[in-house]
Amino acid sequence: MFSRRALLKGTSTGFGYLAFAALAHQQAARGANGRTDPLAPKKPHFAPKAKRVIFLCMEGAPSHLDTFDYKPRLSADDGKAAPGRFAGRLMGSPFKFAQHGKSGLWISDLFPEVARHADKLCLLNGMHTDLPNHAQAYLQMHCGLFQFPRPSLGAWVLYGLGSPNENLPGFVTIAPPPTNGGSANYAASFLPAVCQGTKINRGTEQVSNLKNARRTAGAQRVQLDFVQDLNRATADALGESPEIEGLISSYELAFRMQGELPKVLDLSKESAATLKLYGADERAGGGTGGGFGPAAGGPTTFGRQCLLARRLVEAGVRFVEVTMGGWDHHSGIKSALTSSCRAIDKPIAGLLDDLQARGLLDDTLVLWGGEFGRTPHAQGDGRDHNNKGFTTWMAGGGAKGGFAHGRTDDHGFEAVDGKVHMHDWHATILHLLGLDHEKLTYRYAGRDMRLTDVKGNVVKAVVA
Amino acid sequence: MSRFRGPLIALAALVGTGAPTVGADDKPPSAEGAAFFEKKIRPVLVAECYACHSSEPGKKARGGLVLDTRDGTRKGGDSGAVIVPGDPARSPLVQALKHGDAKTAMPPKKKLDADVVRDFEEWVRIGAPDPRGARAAGKYIDIEEGRKHWAYQPPKKPVAPQVKNAAWPRTEIDRFVLEGLEAKGLTPVADADRRALIRRVTFDLTGLPPTAAEVSAFVEDAAPDAFEKVVDRLLASPRFGEKWARHWLDVARFAESTGKTVNFNYPHAWRYRDYVIAAFNADKPYDQFVKEQLAGDLMPTDDAKRRAERLVATGFLAIGPKTLNERNGLKFELDIVDEQIDVTTHAFLGVTAACARCHDHKFDPIPQADYYALAGIFRSTETCYGTVRYINAQRQSPLVVLPKEASAAVARLTDTERKRIEDQIKSVRDNIAKLKDPTQQFLTSGQLSLLQARLDAYDGDGNPKLVAMGVRDRPARAEAAPPKGGFAGFTYNGSRVIGDSPVFARGEHDQPGTARVPRGTLQVMTAAPLKVPAGTSGRLELAEWIASTRNPLTARVMVNRVWLQLFGRGLVPSADDFGMAGRRPTHPELLDHLALAFVDNGWSTKKLIRSVVTSRVYQLGSVANKAALEIDPENARLWRVSPRRLDAESLRDALLTVSDQLDTTAPTGSVVARAGEGPVARFGGGGEPIGAAANDPRNRHRSVYLPVVRDNLPEALALFDAADPALITSDRPRTTVPAQGLFLMNSAFVLRAADAAADVLLKGTATEGERVRAAFLRFYGRPPTDKEQTGSAAFLKAYRAQLATDRVPAAQHERESWSAFCQALFASAEFQYRK
Repeated sequence: MFSRRALLKGTSTGFGYLAFAALAHQQAARGANGRTDPLAPKKPHFAPKAKRVIFLCMEGAPSHLDTFDYKPRLSADDGKAAPGRFAGRLMGSPFKFAQHGKSGLWISDLFPEVARHADKLCLLNGMHTDLPNHAQAYLQMHCGLFQFPRPSLGAWVLYGLGSPNENLPGFVTIAPPPTNGGSANYAASFLPAVCQGTKINRGTEQVSNLKNARRTAGAQRVQLDFVQDLNRATADALGESPEIEGLISSYELAFRMQGELPKVLDLSKESAATLKLYGADERAGGGTGGGFGPAAGGPTTFGRQCLLARRLVEAGVRFVEVTMGGWDHHSGIKSALTSSCRAIDKPIAGLLDDLQARGLLDDTLVLWGGEFGRTPHAQGDGRDHNNKGFTTWMAGGGAKGGFAHGRTDDHGFEAVDGKVHMHDWHATILHLLGLDHEKLTYRYAGRDMRLTDVKGNVVKAVVA
Repeated sequence: MSRFRGPLIALAALVGTGAPTVGADDKPPSAEGAAFFEKKIRPVLVAECYACHSSEPGKKARGGLVLDTRDGTRKGGDSGAVIVPGDPARSPLVQALKHGDAKTAMPPKKKLDADVVRDFEEWVRIGAPDPRGARAAGKYIDIEEGRKHWAYQPPKKPVAPQVKNAAWPRTEIDRFVLEGLEAKGLTPVADADRRALIRRVTFDLTGLPPTAAEVSAFVEDAAPDAFEKVVDRLLASPRFGEKWARHWLDVARFAESTGKTVNFNYPHAWRYRDYVIAAFNADKPYDQFVKEQLAGDLMPTDDAKRRAERLVATGFLAIGPKTLNERNGLKFELDIVDEQIDVTTHAFLGVTAACARCHDHKFDPIPQADYYALAGIFRSTETCYGTVRYINAQRQSPLVVLPKEASAAVARLTDTERKRIEDQIKSVRDNIAKLKDPTQQFLTSGQLSLLQARLDAYDGDGNPKLVAMGVRDRPARAEAAPPKGGFAGFTYNGSRVIGDSPVFARGEHDQPGTARVPRGTLQVMTAAPLKVPAGTSGRLELAEWIASTRNPLTARVMVNRVWLQLFGRGLVPSADDFGMAGRRPTHPELLDHLALAFVDNGWSTKKLIRSVVTSRVYQLGSVANKAALEIDPENARLWRVSPRRLDAESLRDALLTVSDQLDTTAPTGSVVARAGEGPVARFGGGGEPIGAAANDPRNRHRSVYLPVVRDNLPEALALFDAADPALITSDRPRTTVPAQGLFLMNSAFVLRAADAAADVLLKGTATEGERVRAAFLRFYGRPPTDKEQTGSAAFLKAYRAQLATDRVPAAQHERESWSAFCQALFASAEFQYRK
């Protein structure tokens, strides 16, 4: 791959833009529809199963033991001292598990709606990650490493595949947290800046500077025409100037984005039935009880965000992340986890229904999970951090439905079989998108950098 | 070894490349074989085996077996070979991994995953391909050979350049550049016109546009030294330091928060910022500047003010990113030291020594031992960065206490305020007593600690304590009392006394070697080892070595930084890597000429800048020339001055300037100083006060004074490629993305500036034509062409018509249309680019 930033770094502006133009040119050669911008769609390394991603990110680390990892032995040993060096008493899940769908996946009663989709879910019960600290693990989940600034998963996907809609950003992140690494979790880092995530602000569900309270679109068009006249005159006076040409086209994209994006973000024309499907019609509330971390909204908020995610991918955005915070249930897990799950159950089920109804589920990869899991032993009436074993799931996009891969030990502490490290998870996501994680590289600081660093194995077992 | 031949030949067919797979002789393994080793085998050897089977001096080689070299792995241990390539069943290593026999089971205490054992079987089956060196990595480093690299040789006085067109050059710099141009068959373009030139030099030296009056004064000044007068005026302006400090702050990864995992304020970091601004304004000799930042605390002086300044300078070593929730104290200490080595070698020497933390440097002749020689110096140093103990941050340090001559950032604490805080503390305490759940108690205790820190920032009389971020030597001996001073916190449990550091295998804190490396510096750049007086860290000696005229890199690196800022490209294009993997200088003789002149001129940055901007090459036009573009598209030879977008700070400051909004007074302290100790964004706290202040469109100070919070830069700067303070930045990226366009079209800051500029125009002029002319002079430093006059009039007419269509009340049309006009000029390339 052509290293644009590497060239930009050591060169004059003029050449930087020449390099940029060369990159655009090269990509256009690979591109599908004659676009010459740096985000023009690119061919993947091999035939993809998924074309786009919706990542439902559960910030704070939800308990796998009370949701998707059924541990009868833990219930049987409730109150006993936890084995090994870990202090504390084992705590069986206060929630009931049952088998669902034809596949008979075990899911707790916290997710009555999601359980309807059991046959679409591919549970990864053997997840593990390096550290039981939120910030490090959260960064690792997004960027592969936490020790150094690295591009986010979404940025890598955008870099590898480009984006089908030239009027919209290719990577959108809805309500990302300001903590746990903040913007580093959707950064382009050394990748071209266009790969960075566009943030949809928590609360307002809007993008910064997208609207002008004073000037109408018509007035802005008149104004932009004048700006572009001035710019063309400057470009002509300088002779060859790809840098000014780049500026001119980026303004046009900005103008198109401000026309297009608000329409996608506007949920006001959604029918009552759709809102109901996503649980977005319920009264706001919910909250997180004993979880500590940024307060999360109830099903209304998350439902609207899931609906937004569907609208964004449908409009051609390549990668959409939706964050739900408040999963750090150190105490009061029974009530707090109930309200957290209630806030996402209907929205997620609605999203899966809607994607399927629109024929999008087959090639949209839906990811669910947090940065790690929680301990089988109690911490008061909650559970502590656990990076050794936890669960995430995939749905659609070529992931094997109604399937559970890997497992933790009998108490659900440590992954023992079918282990999937975050690096493997990343490798697998890229694989489903038709990208070889070892070939998706970017030359930086003298090395061909990868999302998976020097690690990662594709979990072939979960590919449908 | 010849007994391995048989299986090998069979193996070659297996792998299918035809090439011998394994080097029983010294032939390298096939690419596939090497890849298999790197992916599946080496990581396991490193993680599981090296600790007990290492060839490194001072490390264990249990059973006489070393597994960190190819030859050792082949040779086996005291009981013979451990692998038989091609035959896993007969390879003791594989059997040991299977834990069949408890006596030989390896690793002894844990059986590796079955997958891993299978990988080893497969590896042996394909012939145990091993691309590693015969000896352990790094023993290949040849320091003598390394010294031959151009950058490690002292600068040489260059031969005077030979040029054909002797009439063109004005200064020595021009002769060097012209020589290079002529060698490529290039000719320089025409000189820049005076208006473009004064705009260029005013932005480059002060980060601000010239006023219309300054432009016309220069245009009309017929004196032969008219330009020199402008340059001297700009160099003498306090705005100069604000601009050039920012370049250094990029390199020094200046920020006012820890960044990383949990982001906490550094309320005292602003002092370092102000120190750098003052240093550039005072033209502090660069060697002095270097020494003060590394060892100002160790430079004796009786002058209290100077002492304060030197203590603040060492903030350079303290303001780096930190992982305050790191659980392991030693790892935390080693990470800080690593960051200090990184910034020191990067900023002053243009090399990346931090690569040698885990292994010998891959490209440069920097053995791992050199890294730990430096680490010993920094581990003998206590880093004082403050921060507050909080629920998710347990790694505080004291701060450096300043003499009372220093200035304060915040007002006195009034008695009422003190009472209020004390009441709050009491009420939180009562609350905690009532809580039953220990977790809730713990969470609430965080509030106490923040409140206490607020009180602790003042002395008993309510005067703010005068403290700074910085460093100091650790005590020489363990029994010495810890140094006095500092508050609100405790020292992390690092190495508490001065001493040498061991090498940590693979940089891992739990893998220290037994031998200690004498404190010192990078061998490749010095002939004599550093002499560290007993009982001192060696920091002062390190600083003196870096700032010495004999150091081959220090002057070159700084000269190159200055050139980079003035031309948009360094003479060494990889400004942060002068090492073997960096790019070679385009003009090596010019680089040496400038470096030697810099030292001869007493390390004066202002003289250096003056010598560059008064050259003819700096004053060239920026119009592209097709023929020259063909030969030298990068403009590496400098046939023109490349146009480039203003940096983020200059762009914001220019918007404020032309709209008459800029407040050029230097604020005391910063928003972060006023926010005090604590997390940048508080849990469940709602609202981000610092973020809001940073983005407040009413803030009219120069951009260098905006708060620099890691992962939360002011939008107006972050969007336009301001340096990310998580990284050491020599050369900023230059991107053109739609978010910049949206900011210019729609942000409150830009709309406000457009309104203000419109008001200035409406007040100062009577007719539309005059207004357009005044605007062009103000924004671009030149009058409009006839075509632009007509075009502007046409725009204003069309815009008013649109306002009417949009049913905007007629009374607003005048101001709205001029506001839109000014905003259009802001968004135009000519305003944003410095030609």
